[in-house]
Amino acid sequence: MPERMEPIAFRLRRAGFAAVAFATALSPSAYDPAARRVAARQIYFSAWQILPGFTLACAALSWVLIRIVLSSSNAYGLSAYALELTVRVLVLELIPLFAALFVGLRSGAAINTEVVLMHIRGDLDAQQRAGRDPLRHELVPRVIGSAVAVMLLAYLNCAVALLLTYYEMYGISPWGLAQFLRITGEVFAPVATIGLAIKTLLFGIAVAVIPITSALAVPRLQRMAAVAVLRGMVSLVLALAVIEGSFLAIMYV
Amino acid sequence: MEPHEQSSSPPIRHVELKAILLLTLVAALVTGFVLYVLYARGAFGETQKLVLIADDSEGIAVGANLTFSGFPVGRVQRIELSKNGKAKIEVEVPVKDVHWLRTTSVFTLERGLVGGARLRAFTGNLDDPPLPDGAERQVLRGDATEQLPVLLATMRSVLDKIERMTASDSDLNASLANLRVVSERMTGRYGALGGLLGGDENAKKVIDALDRSNALLASLGGVSAKLGRTIDKADARVFGAGGVMDETQQAIAQLNAVLGDARASLKKADAVLAEAQKVGANTAAATEDLAALRAEVEASVRKVGSLIDEVNRKWPFKRDTELKLP
Repeated sequence: MPERMEPIAFRLRRAGFAAVAFATALSPSAYDPAARRVAARQIYFSAWQILPGFTLACAALSWVLIRIVLSSSNAYGLSAYALELTVRVLVLELIPLFAALFVGLRSGAAINTEVVLMHIRGDLDAQQRAGRDPLRHELVPRVIGSAVAVMLLAYLNCAVALLLTYYEMYGISPWGLAQFLRITGEVFAPVATIGLAIKTLLFGIAVAVIPITSALAVPRLQRMAAVAVLRGMVSLVLALAVIEGSFLAIMYV
Repeated sequence: MEPHEQSSSPPIRHVELKAILLLTLVAALVTGFVLYVLYARGAFGETQKLVLIADDSEGIAVGANLTFSGFPVGRVQRIELSKNGKAKIEVEVPVKDVHWLRTTSVFTLERGLVGGARLRAFTGNLDDPPLPDGAERQVLRGDATEQLPVLLATMRSVLDKIERMTASDSDLNASLANLRVVSERMTGRYGALGGLLGGDENAKKVIDALDRSNALLASLGGVSAKLGRTIDKADARVFGAGGVMDETQQAIAQLNAVLGDARASLKKADAVLAEAQKVGANTAAATEDLAALRAEVEASVRKVGSLIDEVNRKWPFKRDTELKLP
């Protein structure tokens, strides 16, 4: 691995890795028992462990935002737009981004550190020499775990936020259901819905792929481990911002 | 945390089962979400099409609602420009709501100051025939912002007028001041009369005049009573037995008799006059003779005169007739 890679080549390598990882993840033959076990462990660590805590935290944050939007819109006499605004801001934008950042900072940093240590120690080369594909057995399961974690946290908390919004707007009465369905139906237009799905998937892939490529890009020196994690995290946050900004531009510009 | 390192640590119980559970949960969430969106967007309900033709579709977006009495009964599916340059708004109306729209329904497109444009339907008679599938209807436009400049101009002129009206030296203020003075007077001793007449003194005069009028009316009452009595008496005198009227009747009878006498006398006078006329005629003839007689008399007199003159001249005691000139 060169000391410092050209930025464009580096990015291409990163995109190539993401594509290979995605293709591998979609091919059933890649899932032998060992790979499946690693993927299951990764899903467990990235999603299962943090699910209750994150859901609670996200619900609290959502509730605060819903209250702010509802009370401000009531104050300005724009309560008819409160539901649409809440769903657009919270469900379509904030919660997926929040889930991606959370998984990125937690699992992404861990993956980055783990892979850079394996890279520096030469474990990946050793595995390859032993006839075990490190991409399939070590890297792709991490990508799958992160993607599943991001999607699970995002979708589950979107559902929770929708329920909270309904409760805040109409209480437990069923009579607001028709209006709620109509307005959320308008918000979840085909472009918005497909955009949300693609965005969440991209977030999930980026959360693992960027730390892994950053880890593999540094020279095999012990002191470079910290540099790899630093670069990985900065790149990850930037990538998340770019993805979010691009989707906002597609939706609203 | 790190799979590689933790692979050497005690294995996690049911890790694959938990992973499968989470994957199932993700799949369920995605499926549920897709179904929810499809249901919310009316993918499962039967719909019929309504085409609205508008001059301008600005503010209308795909997914906008068509409302009836504030309830959404349809959703805009497609907006396109028709061949004649008008906006063609295709609205999907669920069959369960289509009975609100009738052939006589009116559709409007209104733009408020806030928010997008609104499509509204009005149905006057719900017994009219139902709207057929694919019906085309013209949209009436109502735009609050278009009226805004006119409204502002009107408002400005109204405000100017109000400002002039409320100025300290305005007519309205003067009128109000006068009104206050009048109302203050009205609260005085003589009430509204004082306010109307401009002061208590005038009001007092009016009240005095009224008092005097009352007194006058009372005395007039007395007078009229006396008059009544007088009339009664006069009536008795004039029309009573032996009254003026009876005497008058007698007098008239006598007068009639007198008049008869007078008529007889006049006839006699008439005869006398006829006689007199005759006498007059004779007199006229005599008068003509008198003229000749007179001429003769005058000639005789002249002769007598000249005779006397002769006698005088020849008379010895004649008077001196000599004329002495001064």
